[in-house]
Amino acid sequence: MGEQSQQTAPIQYDYTVAKMFLVSTILFGIIGMGIGVFIAFELAFPELNNLFGEFGTFSRLRPIHTNGVAFGFTLSGIFATWYYVGQRVLKVSMAESKFLMTVGKLHFWLYFITILLAVVTLLSGLTTSKEYAELEWPLDILVVGFMVLWGISIFGLIGIRRERTLYISIWYYIAAFVAISMLYVFNNMELPTYFVTGMGSIMHSVSWYAGTNDALVQWWYGHNAVAFVFTTPIIAIIYYFLPKESGQAVYSYKLSLLSFWGLMFVYLWAGGHHLIYSTVPDWMQTMGSVFSVVLILPSWGSAINMLLTMKGEWNQLQSNPLIKFMVLASTFYMLSTLEGPIQAIKSVNALAHFTDWIPGHVHDGTLGWVGFMIIAGIYHMTPRVFKKEIYSKKLIEIQFWLQTTGIVLYFSSMWIAGITQGMMWRAVDEYGNLSYSFIDTVEVLHPYYTMRAIGGAFYLVGLFIWAYNIYKTFKCGRELSDKEINVNASPMAS
Amino acid sequence: MKKIVIVSVLTSIVLIGVILSYVGNIIGDDMVNILSVLAAIVILGLTVGVGLKYVNQMKNDKAGGELADENWDGIGEYKNNIPVGWGVSFIGTIIFFIWYLLAGYPVWSFSQIGQYNEEVKEYNKKFEEKHKNMTKEELQDMGESIFLVNCAPCHGVTADGMGGKAADLTKRISAESVKYVIEHGSNIGLVGEGIAMPDRNGLFNTNTGAPLTDEEIETVAQYVANGFVGKKGAEIFAGTCAACHGPDGKGQPFVAPNIRNFTPELVQAVLEHGKKGAIGTMPSFRVEDLRLTETQQKAVGTYISNLSSEE
Amino acid sequence: MFHWLEQRPFFFTIGVFMVVAFAGLIEILPNFAEASRPVVGTKPYSILELAGRQVYIKDSCNACHSQLIRPFKSETDRYGMYSLSGEYAYDRPFLWGSKRTGPDLHRVGNYRTTDWHENHMWEPTSVVPGSVMPSYKHMFSNTVDVETAYAEMVAVNKVFNVPYNKPIKMKDGSTTTVKLPDSLDEAKQEILKEAKEIVKDMKNQDVKDMVEKGEIPEIVALIAYLNSLK
Ligand code: HEC
Ligand code: HEC
Ligand code: HEC
Ligand code: HEM
Ligand code: HEM
Ligand SMILES: [Ca+2]
Ligand SMILES: [Ca+2]
Ligand SMILES: [Cu+2]
Repeated sequence: MGEQSQQTAPIQYDYTVAKMFLVSTILFGIIGMGIGVFIAFELAFPELNNLFGEFGTFSRLRPIHTNGVAFGFTLSGIFATWYYVGQRVLKVSMAESKFLMTVGKLHFWLYFITILLAVVTLLSGLTTSKEYAELEWPLDILVVGFMVLWGISIFGLIGIRRERTLYISIWYYIAAFVAISMLYVFNNMELPTYFVTGMGSIMHSVSWYAGTNDALVQWWYGHNAVAFVFTTPIIAIIYYFLPKESGQAVYSYKLSLLSFWGLMFVYLWAGGHHLIYSTVPDWMQTMGSVFSVVLILPSWGSAINMLLTMKGEWNQLQSNPLIKFMVLASTFYMLSTLEGPIQAIKSVNALAHFTDWIPGHVHDGTLGWVGFMIIAGIYHMTPRVFKKEIYSKKLIEIQFWLQTTGIVLYFSSMWIAGITQGMMWRAVDEYGNLSYSFIDTVEVLHPYYTMRAIGGAFYLVGLFIWAYNIYKTFKCGRELSDKEINVNASPMAS
Repeated sequence: MKKIVIVSVLTSIVLIGVILSYVGNIIGDDMVNILSVLAAIVILGLTVGVGLKYVNQMKNDKAGGELADENWDGIGEYKNNIPVGWGVSFIGTIIFFIWYLLAGYPVWSFSQIGQYNEEVKEYNKKFEEKHKNMTKEELQDMGESIFLVNCAPCHGVTADGMGGKAADLTKRISAESVKYVIEHGSNIGLVGEGIAMPDRNGLFNTNTGAPLTDEEIETVAQYVANGFVGKKGAEIFAGTCAACHGPDGKGQPFVAPNIRNFTPELVQAVLEHGKKGAIGTMPSFRVEDLRLTETQQKAVGTYISNLSSEE
Repeated sequence: MFHWLEQRPFFFTIGVFMVVAFAGLIEILPNFAEASRPVVGTKPYSILELAGRQVYIKDSCNACHSQLIRPFKSETDRYGMYSLSGEYAYDRPFLWGSKRTGPDLHRVGNYRTTDWHENHMWEPTSVVPGSVMPSYKHMFSNTVDVETAYAEMVAVNKVFNVPYNKPIKMKDGSTTTVKLPDSLDEAKQEILKEAKEIVKDMKNQDVKDMVEKGEIPEIVALIAYLNSLK
C-alpha cells in the first residue's frame, strides 16, 4: 500500500465535534448513573420513593436510568470516540470537509436535544413501555434523524479517506450503525392514535405488533440493542485505544477477522434467550439458547486478542492506569459474555430469569466493560483534544480502585440476591407446597440491595473524580507541544 | 500455569462456600437449582482462570510474530494464527449446539408444556404415595404454609385481618359482620348452592312474633360475636336463629352454617365461592381455576379451624 | 485475499447487513401468522380497563412486575394457569416485563380485589409489611385521559380489527360483547358507568366524590385493569 509515502506533513485533525460529545458523555454518565444509584437505594429503603411525589418513584425513574446510560452515556461515548478515532484511522481531517463538519455539529445538537426530551417525556410518564424502546414516536423520529446524520458522517469520512483498508474499529462502527438503525426502526413501528382518530393526545401510540409477536420483535431488538450499543462499538473503542495507548501491535489479524464475522452472524439469532419458557414457540427459544452458547467464542476472541496484545507488557499494566482500565474491561467482557450464554441455557434460565441475577449480569457488562472502556477512551482523548497534560494520574488510580470495588460489590450482591430469590420462588415444603410467600423473598434481599446501592455509589464517586480530573485538565493542565502529544502513553501529571 | 490452576480452583471453592452458606438449605434436589449454582461457579472460575493465564503471559511472555504491512494511526497488526485453545473451544460449542438441538431439547419434538405436564404428574404421584391419609396435625401443618403464601397478604401473617382489612380469622365472626348479614341476608353458598339466609324482613323473632328491631339485632350480633354469652342475646338467638343455625350455633348440614366456630367445610365453601361482605371482597380459590386443590383447601381449613378453637 | 471486503466499504456494509438481517427473517416472520389468534375467553379491553392499562404503562409497573406465568409447577401454584399466547392477542404493547421485583400479575384479578388494591396502592406496607413497592398516592387525585383511551379503542378497532361490538366466545360457552362507544360523549358516559361499579367497593371518600362529579381518578381505572387480569 503506497499511501504511507503521502505522510509528509501531519494531518491537523479537527476535534470540535469529538469535544462536544466528550462533554455530553460525562454529563449523561453522571445523570444516568446518579439516577441508577438513587433507584438502587430506593429498593433498599423504599421511603425514598416518596421524595419527589409521582416523579420520584422507582418505576418512573428506572427507564430514565436505562435510557440515560444506554442512549445518553454510552451513545455519547461511542460518538465522541467515533469523531476522534474515525479521522485518525482513516487519515482524514473533519476540517477538510465543511459539509461533514456541519453534519457532525448537527448530529450533536439533534442528539443532545433528543436525549433531553427523552428525560422530560419519560419523567412525565410518556412511554411505550417496551424496554430500551420506551421513547414515544415523535422522539423515535428524532432518533432516526440523528442516526442518519451519524451514517452520513461515517460514510462521508470513509468516502474521502486516505487509508485504503478499513481498520478493525471501523468495521465495528459500521456494524453498530447498520444494526442499530435496522433494529430501531422495526421495533418502533407504532401507530399514533391521534392520526387515526383526530382525538386524544398527539404523543400516544400503540405498538404495531400484538402480544407474543410484539415480544418477539422487542427482544430481537432488545438483545441486539445490547449487542450493538453495549458491545460492538465498545469493541471498536478497545481495538483503537488499547493498542494505541500501549504502543503494541494487535496480536492477530485472523482472530480479529473470525471474531468479527462470527459475532455478526451469531448475534441476531440469540435474541430468543430473553423469551425462554414464554409463549414463543419452543424451537425459537431453543435457537436462542444454542446460538447464545456459540456466541461465547466470537466474544472472547476480541477480548483474548486484546489481552494477548499486551503480552510481555506487565510493566505498563502496573504503571499506566489507563491500561489497567482497559485490561480489566476485557476481563469483565469475558465474564459477562460467558455469564450471558450460561444464563441462556434453558434449565439455568428457569431459575435466573426475572431475578436480580440478570441485573447482576447486566452491570458486570455495563460497568466493567462499557463504563471502563468509555472512561479510558475519554481519558486517552483528553490530552490530545485539549492539548493539555492530564491533571492527575493519582486521581485516575484512585478512581480505578474505587470503581473496581464498586463493580465487585454490585455483581456479587446481585448474584447472591438473584440465586437466593430464584431458589426461594421454587422452594417447596415436605408436602410440595410453596415454602415462601412472595414477600419473604423480597425481605431477604434487603442486605444485598443495600450492598448494591453502596457499590453503585462508589462507582458514581469515581465518575465525579473523572469529571473533575478532566475539568482540571481543561482549566489548568500543562500545555503540551505537538511532539509531546504524538506519543503512545497518555501524558499525565503525577 | 500451575499457579493459575490453583488460584482458579481456589476461587471456585471459595465461591462454592459462599453460595452454599447463603442458599445451601434451599437447594434441595431440584436440578435447576443445582445447575444454576454450578453455572455460577463455572462462570467465575473459568473467567478468573483464563484471565490469569493471560496475565501470566503479560508477565512472562513476549510479543512477536510477523507484522502486516499496514498500520493505522501507528497501530500495527501481527499475522499470528488464532490461539489453539480458542479454536478448539469454538468447535466445542458447535458440538454442544448440535447436541442441544438434536438430543438435549430436540427442535422438532421438545415441548415445554409436555415437560410441565410430566412435572405435575410426577408430583401428584409422589404426593399420593406419601400423603394418602393425612392426620389432622399434618393437614394443619400443611395448611399453615398455604395460608402464609396465599392468604397472609390480606388476612395478615397472624390471620387477624390486619386491622379490619379482611376478616379476622382468629375469631369466628365479628359483630359488624353478623349485623351486615342480618341486614342484607346472605347467599354465597356456605352450606350449598342457593341455600340462602333471608334479610331482616324475613327473620321473625318467635318470642315477640315480630321482625327484629334494631336493638335486637345489635344484641344478638354481640351475642354471636362474643362467643354466645349473654342472657338477652341467647333469648333472641333461640327465638330467631336457632331454627336454622342450631341451638348452639353450630349449624346444620344443608340448612345453615356453623357461626360459632370455623370448620374446614365452611372455609372450603368460602374458598370455592369467595365472599362479599361487610368488610370487603374475599376472592375465590377454586379448584377449577387451579388456585388450590381440594386437599389444600381442606388443609388450610383445618389450619383456620384450629386457630380459632385455641382461644 | 481477506482484505478485499475491507477495502470496499460499500460491499462490506452490504455484507454486514445481510449477515445481520438473516436471523430476523428466519426467526421472526414464521410466528406472525400463528400468534395473533385469541384463545376462547380472551376479550378486548373495555374503555375503563384500557384507560387503566395506560396508567399501568405510564407508571411503568412493568419495571417490577411480569405478566407471564411460565409452565413450572412452582409458578402455576403461585399465580395460576401458565400463560397462553392467545391471551395476549389484544395486548399492544405486550407487558411481559423482564424482572420480578414484585410478583407476576397476569392473573392477579383472580386473587386480589378492589378493596385490597385500594389499600395496597395507597400504601403497600399497610397490607404487606416489608414491601418495597412505592406507594402511588398520586393516582388517587390524578385523572385519566378519557379521550386518549377512546382514541386508542377506535384506532385498534379500525386498523387492527380488534373485535369490539362483536360476539366473543367465553370459556363457559356463553358469548359476550365489548362495546365500542359511538362517540366521545358516549365514551365518557360508558367509562363513568364502569367507574361507578368499581367505586362501589372502594372506601376513599375523595375518589368517590370525584367519580360523583364525573371525573375518573387513575386509581379507579387501574383497578379495573388489574381486575381484568385473569
Ligand atoms: C332461614 C334460616 C336462617 C335463619 C333463621 C338464620 N340464618 Fe343465618 N344463615 C343461614 C344460611 C343458609 C346461611 C348461609 C348463607 C350463605 O351461604 O351465604 C347463613 C349465614 C349466616 C352468617 C354468615 C356466616 C359467614 O361466615 O359469613 C351469619 C353471621 C348468620 N347466618 C347469623 C345469623 C343470625 C345471627 C341469625 C338470627 C338473627 C340467623 N343467622 C338466622 C340461614 C339462616
Ligand atoms: C384479596 C384479599 C384476600 C385474600 C387473598 C384472602 N382473603 Fe379471605 N377474606 C378477605 C376479605 C376482605 C374477607 C371478608 C369478607 C367479608 O366478610 O366482608 C375474607 C373472608 C374470609 C373468610 C370468611 C370469614 C367469615 O367469617 O365468613 C375466610 C374463611 C377466609 N377469608 C379465608 C381465607 C383463606 C383460607 C385464604 C387463602 C387461601 C384467604 N382467605 C385469602 C380477603 C382475602
Ligand atoms: C419497586 C418495585 C415495584 C413497583 C415499581 C411496583 N410494584 Fe407492585 N409490588 C412490588 C412488590 C415487591 C410486591 C410484593 C409485596 C407487596 O405485595 O406489596 C408488589 C405487589 C403488587 C401487587 C400484589 C400482587 C400479589 O400477587 O400480591 C399488585 C397488584 C401490584 N404490586 C401492582 C403494582 C402496580 C399496578 C404498579 C404500578 C403502578 C406497581 N405494582 C409497581 C414491587 C413493585
Ligand atoms: C455472549 C454474549 C451474551 C449473551 C449470550 C447474553 C445473554 C443474556 C441473557 C440470557 C440474558 C437474560 C435474559 C433473561 O432471562 O431475562 C441477558 C440479559 C441482559 N444482558 Fe446479556 N448476554 C451477553 C452479553 C452481554 C453483554 C456484554 C452485556 C452488556 C454489556 C449484556 C447486557 C445485558 C442486558 C442489559 C440484559 C437485560 C435485558 C433485559 O432488560 O431483560 N449482555 N443476556
Ligand atoms: C452507578 C452505577 C449504576 C447503578 C447504581 C445502577 C443501578 C441500577 C438499578 C438499581 C437498576 C434496576 C435493577 C432492577 O430493576 O432490579 C438498573 C438497571 C439497569 N442498568 Fe444500571 N446502574 C448503574 C450503571 C449502569 C450503566 C453504566 C449502565 C449501562 C451502560 C446500566 C445499564 C442498566 C440496564 C440496561 C438496566 C436494566 C437491566 C434489566 O432490565 O435487567 N447501568 N441499574
Ligand atoms: Ca418508540
Ligand atoms: Ca429488563
Ligand atoms: Cu440478550
